[in-house]
Amino acid sequence: MVAAQNCSTGRTRGEDAAALAIQWMGAVAESQDRDAFSSLYEQFAPKVKRYMMRQGADDATADDLAQETLVQVWRKASLYDSGKAAPSSWIFTIARNLRTDRLRRQKYHEVELAEELLESGLAADGRDRAVEHVHANQMAELVSKLPTDQAEVIRMSFFEGLSHAEIGQRLDLPLGTVKSRLRLAFGRLRTAIGD
Amino acid sequence: MNLNNHPDSSTLLAYAAGAVNEGFSLVIAAHLELCPECRDEVTEAEALGGGLMQHLPAAEMSDAGMAQIWERIEADPIPEKVHRRPAETWGLPAVLAPFVPGGLSGVRWRTLVPGIKQLRLENVESGQGSVRLLSISPGATVPQHTHLGSELTLVLQGSFRDEMGHYKQGDLADVDSSVQHQPVVDSDQPCICLIATDQRLKFTSALNRMLQPLVGI
Repeated sequence: MVAAQNCSTGRTRGEDAAALAIQWMGAVAESQDRDAFSSLYEQFAPKVKRYMMRQGADDATADDLAQETLVQVWRKASLYDSGKAAPSSWIFTIARNLRTDRLRRQKYHEVELAEELLESGLAADGRDRAVEHVHANQMAELVSKLPTDQAEVIRMSFFEGLSHAEIGQRLDLPLGTVKSRLRLAFGRLRTAIGD
Repeated sequence: MNLNNHPDSSTLLAYAAGAVNEGFSLVIAAHLELCPECRDEVTEAEALGGGLMQHLPAAEMSDAGMAQIWERIEADPIPEKVHRRPAETWGLPAVLAPFVPGGLSGVRWRTLVPGIKQLRLENVESGQGSVRLLSISPGATVPQHTHLGSELTLVLQGSFRDEMGHYKQGDLADVDSSVQHQPVVDSDQPCICLIATDQRLKFTSALNRMLQPLVGI
């Protein structure tokens, strides 16, 4: 079992949770640590299940897809790079791809980078991702501080998977307005975490 | 590669959220391979997705959940060390290569009108839209058109110009129904683009509208 280490003062609960999850991911990748995996399951499976329900899955399907997501976390643990993404972000992408495959019957095409690009792990501007990804939680907290109309289109995109056109139909807005709201909202969040 | 034209931020956000159709995800992923700036932006949007998921209220997992997980893992315990990138990409973005085996020189084009040839990618789910490769001869023009939905155009070879700008290899034009444009090829070699739409195009002139059923755009 990977014990909670280094819970120094001055860090938020979100940061501590992220740091713990990174340790669990490492233990699963390096030694197939079952206790660490159980901890990941407890932390993430109920959230992934809720995500699947928001995407339209019924209870049994959402349960199944949450399990499948965590099975993939186990299998792909050695591919996880804590320098690039927080565990929550990485697990989100697994859940998103699985939901596209199973609930939409479509393929989600991901970028396939050459080996040398994968290994360099450098951001385009050379910034240190490891520092930044800890702010994933903060970013989500900031969504609730956005103007209501901006937070709404962000949630519709991530939780319901609605395209710009579908959001426009739902809210009776021109496509251009939907896009500019998303652009503004995303821009504000990026600026906020960049500070 | 120094690129000047990128997907709109709102398009990258929709991609990260899984809120685009398969055709769009293909074109965007192909651009991402060539564009570290846009990769960064998608990474940030995925961090937002992860954070938002973390903030959802927990749903109760079935009692058997954890036991079932171990059963699934025992059934196939070998960890994946996958790199899905194909061995041969023929100079194409890797994500596109399986759809164009042999590369651009091996494409079996179908002529639409003189100077314009296309290949529809049939195995990509795009609803009412489509994904196609279009090859346009130097100097040729795509008839002026607008869009009912959105259109993403990635340049794979050559270059073109329209009312908005100049697009060369790796550049992506992200246009929607507010835009009426008439692309003109200005490279010496044919300009080959990967184009995805989520609705049918709308040609501006009556003559071109009559052509539409024939060319199938």
